[in-house]
Amino acid sequence: MATTANPVDRMGTDETHMPPSRSPWAETWHLLCKNRMALTGLVIFLVFFGVAVAGLTVTSGKDPILDPARVRLQEKLRPPFSAPKTDSLRSEELPALGIYILGTDDLGRDVFARMLQGAWVSLTVGFVAVGIAVGIGILLGGISGYYGRQYIQSGHILFWLLLVLAIVLAFQKILSAAAVLLIVAIAGWLWKKRHDRRVSPLPVCLKWIALPTMQVDTLIMRAVDIMLCFPSFFLILTVVALLPPSIYNIMVIIGLTSWMGTTRFVRAEFLSLREQDFVAAARALGISDTRIIFRHIMPNAVAPVLVSATLGIASAMLTEAGLSFLGFGVPPPHATWGNILSDGKAFIFDAPWLTFAPGVAILIVVLAFNLFGEGMRDILNPKLRERN
Amino acid sequence: MLAFMGRSIIQKVVTLFFVSVISFLIIHLAPGEPSQIDPLNPKFTPEMVERMRTEFNLDKPLHVQYMLFYKNLFTGRIVSWRDNQPVLGKIWERFLNSLPLFVVGTILTWTFSFPVGIRSAIMRDGVYDKSATFLAYLLISIPGFFFAYILIILVVTELHVPVIGMETFGVTSASPLVRIMDRTWHLVLPSILGATGGVAVLSRYVRSQMLEIIGQDYVRTAWAKGLSSETVYYKHALRNALLPFVTMFGMILPGLIGGSVIIESIFSWPGMGRMAYEAILGRDYPVILTLNFITAALVLAGTLISDLLYMVVDPRIKL
Repeated sequence: MATTANPVDRMGTDETHMPPSRSPWAETWHLLCKNRMALTGLVIFLVFFGVAVAGLTVTSGKDPILDPARVRLQEKLRPPFSAPKTDSLRSEELPALGIYILGTDDLGRDVFARMLQGAWVSLTVGFVAVGIAVGIGILLGGISGYYGRQYIQSGHILFWLLLVLAIVLAFQKILSAAAVLLIVAIAGWLWKKRHDRRVSPLPVCLKWIALPTMQVDTLIMRAVDIMLCFPSFFLILTVVALLPPSIYNIMVIIGLTSWMGTTRFVRAEFLSLREQDFVAAARALGISDTRIIFRHIMPNAVAPVLVSATLGIASAMLTEAGLSFLGFGVPPPHATWGNILSDGKAFIFDAPWLTFAPGVAILIVVLAFNLFGEGMRDILNPKLRERN
Repeated sequence: MLAFMGRSIIQKVVTLFFVSVISFLIIHLAPGEPSQIDPLNPKFTPEMVERMRTEFNLDKPLHVQYMLFYKNLFTGRIVSWRDNQPVLGKIWERFLNSLPLFVVGTILTWTFSFPVGIRSAIMRDGVYDKSATFLAYLLISIPGFFFAYILIILVVTELHVPVIGMETFGVTSASPLVRIMDRTWHLVLPSILGATGGVAVLSRYVRSQMLEIIGQDYVRTAWAKGLSSETVYYKHALRNALLPFVTMFGMILPGLIGGSVIIESIFSWPGMGRMAYEAILGRDYPVILTLNFITAALVLAGTLISDLLYMVVDPRIKL
């Protein structure tokens, strides 16, 4: 648009004015290289990933090179870059690198080793939590967008009721009744399936089974509305406090409380994509629903979902840090950036590095994720894309 | 309009009912009971635990507990398990403490984010826009508790003013002027912290909204008419860009009761967030459930208000 060459010129050099023939990936990469903030975010993220993996190998195992749990009480609260006092330490207690790069905490543990261990925790919490959220979101959003107009029949509700009842009975140790219910439910389901295939009308006394109750879409969207009513941090805090402390609980809970955005998003994508011509063509070819969903619709819907997942990782890491800070996070022997900071707050004036090292680390990593995610959103959004 | 209101109110009541059921189930099906909170306390004999369970209806089946709880909630007779005080009274007291934080924080958010966002949009891709964008991401990414400690160190070492709590201990005997100044100083840091995230998010939103409007045909027409840039930006563009923000007033409502757990615990501010935190620590189910219920009701009321506001403001929308 910027080059307004005269028409004669343009006719002469026709090829240069054609849009560049690049694959979508190359085009995205090209735009990413131009967006310097997003590129920086990506680089920091890759470095962080490397550090976390390296940190895991260096700090775990029976005899780690950098032991995050080694207590040296005579080396309390040493500032960063200080050399250990060699006369008062046994040889196996000396830090592997010769100095305390980030100092030591109130128990004389090497903060650098603890930070390395925490990097892996932050990474897994972010990825697993967002993986769960995106998985649920794509599943529910896809069902809601693709099959949304179908009705749930009262037979379906009956089936699920029987199933839930069977599970409850199984938990109450009434196994025979549970088994009977399970068999009745599955037999009914199979009978209905066979009946549907034969396209004969149901007997009058069983007409009510096929009674439509509500649309699938309505059900899922109401579920989203209900989940959005909960104050999310408060809900996470409540559940984490009630359950026994464990890192897996935190991942699962953060995941289970943050799928609503992805669901709405995927649903909207599916709703618009399923009306497109290429989907109609695929359907006219007699391609099965699964194949249409996974080969034709999903690839078109997945890029923006990945962008929101990147932003989700950033917020999951912040949530984990916040929980650890409040004392509900990952239980003590494990170091995370949140609980290093939380332990360090008592020494904020004497040993500020205990607050600043994890704080700055969280800030940089979360910032990298946010910059990369937002940059990708701009790049993938054709409305905001500048023509070149 | 009336039909729409009726329908959405019914829908929201149903949603609220499910929220109440789910939150009740989450709390009661989780392992552990309030009677087990302090197993080492010698005062907790088995008879004592049994008496507590009867007193709090914990020995009844779940659906009966549910009915009793919400009956008590709606008649206002619900009491906290910690100190037997009425929950609604306690919440009201804490709400009054949180209110100044909320009001100052909201005012800061809305007064800062609009000028920053509009200027960013006008100077798109300029130095100002780039740095404002980066600053916004920085503020979104910084963990609130870390930022709080940085600010505390700065303010305490440089300005020598007290920041923790709602007022300095023993200041009640001082003159009114000193007390007002004291309260103001204590209010500054927590409300700035509460506003930072809001400013960052809202200014980005204002920017993208403005950018979208600036690209519209009627703005190009306004330029073509030779209007001054002030008229174009503030009369033609801004007025249209403001539409979605009117609805945001509805979304503020839930923030009223949310409070911030982390900020209020750092500053020992006796507000709603801190109350929720204490209730969770003490497994004070009535307080947790009541707070949850009120928040959910406010969220739903907020969406209803924003729908209605949108209809009033934007004549193109008819429901």
